[in-house]
Amino acid sequence: MSDGGWRADRRLLFAVPLAACALPLVANQYQLYVANLILVYALVALGFNVLIGNLGQLAFASNTFFGLGAYATGILMAHLGVPFPLAALAGGVVSAASGVLVSLPALRGVRAFYLAIMTLAFGELMRWIYVHAPALTEGSTGLPVPLPFIAGIALRTDGAKFYVFLALATLLVLATSGLLRSRIGRAFVAIRENELAAAGMGIPTSRMIVLAFAWSGFVVGLGGALYAALVRRVSPDAFDLVELMLHFAIVVVGGLGSIAGSLLGAVVLTTSPELMRDLPGFETILLAVLMIVVLLALPRGLVSLAERVLPSLRQRFSRDPA
Amino acid sequence: MSLLALEDVGLRFGGLQALSGVGFSVAAGEVVAVIGPNGAGKTSLFNAITGYAGPVSGRIALNGARIDGLPPHVIAERGIRRTFQNGGLFGALTVMENVLAGMHADIGGSVLATILRLPGIDRRERAASRTALALLEQMQIAHMANRLARELSGGQQRIVEIVRAIATTPPLLLLDEPAVGLSPVARADLVAIIRRRAAEGTGVLLIEHAIELVMSVADRIVVLNGGRTIADGPPAEIRADRGVMEAYLGHG
Amino acid sequence: MLGQLLFSGLAQGALYALFALAMTAVFRATTVVNFGHGDLLMAGAFVVYVLVVLLHVNFALSAVIAVGVLFAAGVAIERWFIRPILGGPHLSLAMMAIAVGYFIRGGATLEWGRDILPFPHVYPDRVFMLGPVIATSSDLVVSGSVAALLLALTALFVFTPLGKTAQAVFQSQKGAALVGINVGAFQGGVWGLGAAMAAIGGILIAPVTLLYPDMAAFSLLRGFAAMTLGGFGSFPGAVIGALFLGVAELMVGFYLGSEYVEITPYVVILLVLMIRPSGLFGARARVRV
Repeated sequence: MSDGGWRADRRLLFAVPLAACALPLVANQYQLYVANLILVYALVALGFNVLIGNLGQLAFASNTFFGLGAYATGILMAHLGVPFPLAALAGGVVSAASGVLVSLPALRGVRAFYLAIMTLAFGELMRWIYVHAPALTEGSTGLPVPLPFIAGIALRTDGAKFYVFLALATLLVLATSGLLRSRIGRAFVAIRENELAAAGMGIPTSRMIVLAFAWSGFVVGLGGALYAALVRRVSPDAFDLVELMLHFAIVVVGGLGSIAGSLLGAVVLTTSPELMRDLPGFETILLAVLMIVVLLALPRGLVSLAERVLPSLRQRFSRDPA
Repeated sequence: MSLLALEDVGLRFGGLQALSGVGFSVAAGEVVAVIGPNGAGKTSLFNAITGYAGPVSGRIALNGARIDGLPPHVIAERGIRRTFQNGGLFGALTVMENVLAGMHADIGGSVLATILRLPGIDRRERAASRTALALLEQMQIAHMANRLARELSGGQQRIVEIVRAIATTPPLLLLDEPAVGLSPVARADLVAIIRRRAAEGTGVLLIEHAIELVMSVADRIVVLNGGRTIADGPPAEIRADRGVMEAYLGHG
Repeated sequence: MLGQLLFSGLAQGALYALFALAMTAVFRATTVVNFGHGDLLMAGAFVVYVLVVLLHVNFALSAVIAVGVLFAAGVAIERWFIRPILGGPHLSLAMMAIAVGYFIRGGATLEWGRDILPFPHVYPDRVFMLGPVIATSSDLVVSGSVAALLLALTALFVFTPLGKTAQAVFQSQKGAALVGINVGAFQGGVWGLGAAMAAIGGILIAPVTLLYPDMAAFSLLRGFAAMTLGGFGSFPGAVIGALFLGVAELMVGFYLGSEYVEITPYVVILLVLMIRPSGLFGARARVRV
């Protein structure tokens, strides 16, 4: 048995970003802005999907991670003048830490909807804190984010941001792929399928759950950091339960547990907030309907349709034996 | 010192006394079969040993060290692996991935090293894959290695579960009705594997209804009824014990 | 002062109890935690609003219609959206409940945007003195209604054949099916009842909190706080947890400041899950690790 399948995937994995590099040459500023937004939501979906898709843990967490990443990055840049790359990394780390915090009860055996409710309460608490700590966050009006610089170069245009966002997204897709194909990724799915049997194999299930939360927090938090750099203003409304609905929809419609699904969902659904900006509620309805239809008729998401065309998209978890 | 020692073990759950006063031991290289009518507490016994059920009264020790009260994954790390009566496989993983999941601890590695796929981890993954494949070939199921576990028939799933359990060569193996749904050929493979492992020093505790299989592979038989041990001895002795056979066959 | 806080808190808690009980019933009957339940509460209140304010229907009639509409909605949701995927992974069920809830919320937002609407007042805003304690007409109406409803439901549960059926299904769905109970129809009925109770809750709470699409999250979190504190799946737990939450909110508002009232349920949830996940009366909430 050869390793051909993975090599084919890898070619695709690099070919797409390489081709995408041409985008700033042909697209206008607004289109590039949307492309950047897609990359941001690709990260959100990538991170969140590991938690709710691969591990299978219901969590009202992605909006919280997103917001924490954005606020941490924004606060560090605005109040302490921390350069963007470091601030963004810190945003990811802060968000990861919050993931660990909110999943601590799992170490004592708390599972399922109890854990989910914990994330819900924590998320709403964070939103209250954003509003009620104006010295740090400027409260409800929102925190303005200074111009991001990387290695002395200002990311003034959406084109400039695009290259940075693309590089980061590609890196994180590779990392997530590595994670899911490793024993950790197998363990996540094992826990989802049958936690008791997984424990019986010596898998430390509680620790794995916390790890999944931490990883998810990190990646989604980085998405938040990019978001802060993109829109240059961080306010509490952007991370409420309506935003969470968009995240749920992207992952479920794209494909739970699949990296390709996360990316597909982000590409297909990110444009909806833009298109329906003037019709509040309509976006929510559309996303809800899409989710319901997918849950009833196409449970594995859009990616299952794509797989019929491109079989190599099926997420591989382990190497074929050499 | 025996490999596994149970002393006066009791287990209560759902308002019922599932086990009481259970005591016996398993030595390294010994195959002990647990038989008894339905509801006698055989699977509860496995659950008590592996930490799935509790709290357990009495004492359960592995190589002299107490394991009762420990969490399941710690007990597993100490060297016990088991199969399940009803589907313990991970349906969404392939056969190969299922076996590799069983080798989680052997593959090892920190989170960072794992994501970066450092050479050490890569080497161990490949080694694990080779071991897994060899075992799958021995059990004549290697051709299904890349199929999702849920696509397999019941008998095939059982075989994969056994492979998953023995892949790390655990000192103690708990097999819960491994022969159900197996073809005669597969049963012969199963007996061969149990005998080989026992010869290599693995202790095997086996729940099984198929009397011929039990008689052909067990060094000792423990009879359970109503959560209590009612007999414990070599197959010939148990077969001759009328009381046991009545209790057992009477309830089917 | 303490007495006042206690009284007002209990009145507040009575409302949360109604909501928590509705969710507990749905959970016990179908093992689904309906994360969209808050949106049913909001829908009930909005139906009354539309009927009374826009169509000038009499309030009492509107309330009855709203409860009936929501009952039907609950049954329909269970039948068309929950039951088809009942065998699948729990995550999908939760997602479905969430999606249906968001659908309702989206509809309300589409109609009314982010406006906060005043809810028709049915009873005059009066204040009564009960000994040393001040009671608003809202306190009395809400507590009275909830108490009456709970008494009726308890009587139904304990004394009628329907109640016996409910007890059987709550105990064991498989067992109930084995003795010939039409578990599916019953579950539909419970979802309907849960939605109806949510509607009543919405109608009772709206005069106080006013009407806005995000009421859903408000009630959902307080319901969860009550259920988490009292112990998930326990009916008395839901009531006691809710009453405690109501009193706690009043106390927090008085001693710490009104801005902290909003986060009281969140803190309750976090503390309970960190310290004693099974709450006061709940079943074992932790797996062996």
